[in-house]
Amino acid sequence: MQDMNLTSLFIELMARLGLNYEFLATGYEAQIWRDGFLTTLYLVAVTIPVSLIVGLIFAACLTSNRPWLSAPVRGFVELTRNTPTLVQLMFSFLVLNTVVSNMVGGAQNNPLSPFFWVVAVVGLHVAALHAEAIRGGIEAVPSSMIEAARGMGFSPFEIMRYVQIPLAFRSSLPAIVNGLISLVKSTTVGNAIAVSEITYASIMVWTQRDNVVELMIVLLAFFSLINFVVARVGSWVERRLAIPGYGL
Amino acid sequence: MTASPETETNTAIVKLEDVHLSFGQTQVLKGIDLTIYKGDAFSIIGPSGSGKSTILRCINALVTPQSGKITVAGTRVDQLTKESERIQLRKRVGIVFQQYNLFPHLTVLDNIVLAPTKILGADKTATVKLARELLEKVRLSEKADAYPGQLSGGQQQRVAIARALAMKPELVLFDEVTSALDPETVGEVLWVIRDLIRDGMTSILVTHEMRFAEEISDTVVFTENGRIVDHGSPQQIFHTADNPRIRQFVGGLSGGGRGAVRDGEGI
Ligand SMILES: Nc1ncnc2c1ncn2[C@@H]1O[C@H](COP(=O)(O)OP(=O)(O)OP(=O)(O)O)[C@@H](O)[C@H]1O
Ligand SMILES: [Mg+2]
Repeated sequence: MQDMNLTSLFIELMARLGLNYEFLATGYEAQIWRDGFLTTLYLVAVTIPVSLIVGLIFAACLTSNRPWLSAPVRGFVELTRNTPTLVQLMFSFLVLNTVVSNMVGGAQNNPLSPFFWVVAVVGLHVAALHAEAIRGGIEAVPSSMIEAARGMGFSPFEIMRYVQIPLAFRSSLPAIVNGLISLVKSTTVGNAIAVSEITYASIMVWTQRDNVVELMIVLLAFFSLINFVVARVGSWVERRLAIPGYGL
Repeated sequence: MTASPETETNTAIVKLEDVHLSFGQTQVLKGIDLTIYKGDAFSIIGPSGSGKSTILRCINALVTPQSGKITVAGTRVDQLTKESERIQLRKRVGIVFQQYNLFPHLTVLDNIVLAPTKILGADKTATVKLARELLEKVRLSEKADAYPGQLSGGQQQRVAIARALAMKPELVLFDEVTSALDPETVGEVLWVIRDLIRDGMTSILVTHEMRFAEEISDTVVFTENGRIVDHGSPQQIFHTADNPRIRQFVGGLSGGGRGAVRDGEGI
């Protein structure tokens, strides 16, 4: 019961500062709140790779000279960049999800959870931002370098894979890190469709306990910490990938 | 797709017959005929815009002419219909450009190893060994782990040549490979090409280095306005040409004495 003692010590200390964390001693609300942290971390951990992979694919499509690849992605990127993520999430969950439910014969058969829809909507939204940044990097690769690769027998895909993406990823890294920071913050839209991430969990607790300030302090610290880590990892990758003698 | 092994010494490896090519309304090649023999050094000279680079691009299937026959190492290039077939051809024909175009994010060694291993599917260990041999050949062994951005233009161009050779091409095309270089580094690149030609590599050079072309070529052609105006031995083109345009061009470029490898004529 070491844990219990630590918790009550914390509650006591905070109470002296005038902050009410008593709910931590309860089983139910404390559990919701802890699960909220885990859910947010889990959302972030799943959505980041989704956004990066889809962003790369989108960027490749955007720079393709096949209109049937570039046009739909261009349309999607414009739509998602210019409309609120919250509206996209509501639309996806209330409309698309219902369509899926009807197709599979009822909501009970629908494998898509609210969690899935947050990952999909936030992931694709940020993927659109990544795609624009990476597209800029792809287009900045000199055409003479592409011709040299073609001259050696690279296919368009191989040029993309071995030349354009590695260079574009490096030049767009700062923008990608910004996109990831906004991704972390955007996971909170999940509370609109009852995904019990940390803001949803916090609202549940503070409506019972009237301890908004106490929870806010932790919430803000929590998101700041995640984004601090994201930024640090970003600059580490940037240093790792820096090209000696090259202006990137 | 590989060519049948050529046995005779005097077999044509590249043949262009009445090749016509236009970009939109602009006629760029207006009936090009050439034959290049295996093991030869073949130079194309001529004024800017006369179609020299375009001829090389046709040979490497980087552009497709509207009409005419092109045969390269046993392949009828003009009859290739799919991009995948053209890619197969390009793997067998090396090309080096004026802008060295090394991949800036890869070390010198990786620049050389990338295409053979990833594009041809060659064995990695054997390719690294080959790459080191090629680096020795272009006298850059100590730069294997450097990045292109850390090398001089002449060094980068020598790596680009090694990179092309690592594909074990049947012939190599050089498009004004010294034109972007500082005068001091032109010589080191020409040395490498000279060695390569001595080793018997079929080489087609577009160049403004008149003295070099005269020294190493078996055949020289002069292009003007999308046509081949004259062809012959270096002696014929550089010294006994009847055509006043050629005399003027050759004279104009090598005007100030022909003792040393000329510099700064490229652009
Ligand atoms: N992709 C293209 N689209 C349109 N026109 C082109 C293209 N490539 C070349 N041309 C034109 O074709 C003509 C011949 O070009 P080419 O590059 O073959 O000349 P060149 O003899 O190599 O000249 P230089 O010595 O300047 O390199 C030029 O007038 C050029 O403007
Ligand atoms: Mg040219």
